[in-house]
Amino acid sequence: MAFRSSITIVASPRPRVGKTLLARLLTDFHLSEGRLVTAFDLNAGERTLAQFLPEKTTAASVREISGQMALFDHLVAHEDVTKVIDLGHESFETFFSVAHQIDFVEEARRRSIAVAILFTITPDQTSIGAYRGLRDRFSRATLAPVHNEILGPAQHRDKYPLATGGPGVVRMPALAPGLRRYIETPPFSFADSGKASPMLPDSQSELQRWLRRIYLEFRELDLRILLADLRSSIQFGSGT
Amino acid sequence: MARPAVILVGADKGGVGKTTVARTLIDYFGAHQTPTRAFDTEAPRGTLKRFHPELTEVVDVTSVSDQMKIFDTLGSADAKVTVIDVRAGLLSSTLQALTDIGFLESAKKGQITFAVFHILGSSIASLQEIAETARVVGDANYFLVKNFINNTTFFEWDPATYNSYFKKIKGAEEITIPKLNEMAYEQVEVASVPFVSFIGNKGTKGEAANNSFVLRGYVRHWLGNVWGEFDRVKLVDLVSPKIESNVRQVAG
Repeated sequence: MAFRSSITIVASPRPRVGKTLLARLLTDFHLSEGRLVTAFDLNAGERTLAQFLPEKTTAASVREISGQMALFDHLVAHEDVTKVIDLGHESFETFFSVAHQIDFVEEARRRSIAVAILFTITPDQTSIGAYRGLRDRFSRATLAPVHNEILGPAQHRDKYPLATGGPGVVRMPALAPGLRRYIETPPFSFADSGKASPMLPDSQSELQRWLRRIYLEFRELDLRILLADLRSSIQFGSGT
Repeated sequence: MARPAVILVGADKGGVGKTTVARTLIDYFGAHQTPTRAFDTEAPRGTLKRFHPELTEVVDVTSVSDQMKIFDTLGSADAKVTVIDVRAGLLSSTLQALTDIGFLESAKKGQITFAVFHILGSSIASLQEIAETARVVGDANYFLVKNFINNTTFFEWDPATYNSYFKKIKGAEEITIPKLNEMAYEQVEVASVPFVSFIGNKGTKGEAANNSFVLRGYVRHWLGNVWGEFDRVKLVDLVSPKIESNVRQVAG
């Protein structure tokens, strides 16, 4: 069974590790690949994602059951739309505990939707424990550690064991400070550079180089998800 | 022919969720391919019948003709297990009637498997009920069911008091029914289908339904926990000792 569409959850129990930027990049990546995309913003308050991707972003919450229904029922809906979830740190625990209880990953698989979790790695015990928890509870989702290089060199990578045959560490290279300010001022779009104020040709090409490196990582990840999906189909039987 | 089993689900107070427990039992035996029939004593319009219309009959346990309908057919009915949802306030008198017709005597002799699911309310009144029923039931398989389904602050009374009642029944076992999310519970009520149908996204006639995946997930998780409790007290072994021993032979 090859999956029809995918859901990628960008997660970390820590705030300010670059989740929203990663979610933006992923959304723009899928758009640039010609896919239909919906992004879900599970951050309380800020709504940063919506500022950059107003037409693609849906605000979501898992605090109340009505919100959980709106989100998860939408996620597994029969539609060929790629979904990206920007999971705010304060929703981390609730989101995954509900997902586990209702067998979200299994249900998605039954509907030919692959689920991937992009986990931004940091050296703290909370994150290391949370990552292991996800590995245990969601063995049939693709779990990929993300090294955001702006957070420093990752000596703690060994604390994040990779799944056999699963994806390697997704590297998110650091961007020059000047450019960072630029991409973090809405309305900036990676997919549509006409949206923001004009920039110098040098900066422009540096940004493009950076973007190409990240998109390459995403393409690799896509292949890994496909591979993991095929592998587990063989291992578990194709199912229904 | 395996020995028939009768499970009495009762409480002496209304609103403690005994019909809910009866429904989980019917679903449980269904999942274990154990033919089951049910009697609903909430005449004239039973709640249990609404959820399991095919295998439920509404009866009046105090009437002799209905007692005949239930107990005289135990050996001949296709169903191996008979679940009786006893209306609030009738548990003691039903048990008394069972004594009078000699049913409890047959249970003691081992001709019939008899079990009581006593659903506990939050007040002390329903504990006194335990003492009364204990006197009648004797060595029936007695299960004290703490039902948390609709409530989290349920058991606030003194554990010492509770234990003093609990110990009055030899071999009584406790079963805990965990809380189910209110909205999930309500939606099953509205759908009027067995829990397993709701989980399987089926309507009253087996047609495809459109239940929320989240709510179905919650119900599946909850029902799994309830069945885990039934597994823990070895309910299937209790009602199908024959099948169980066969399994053991095969396994051995």
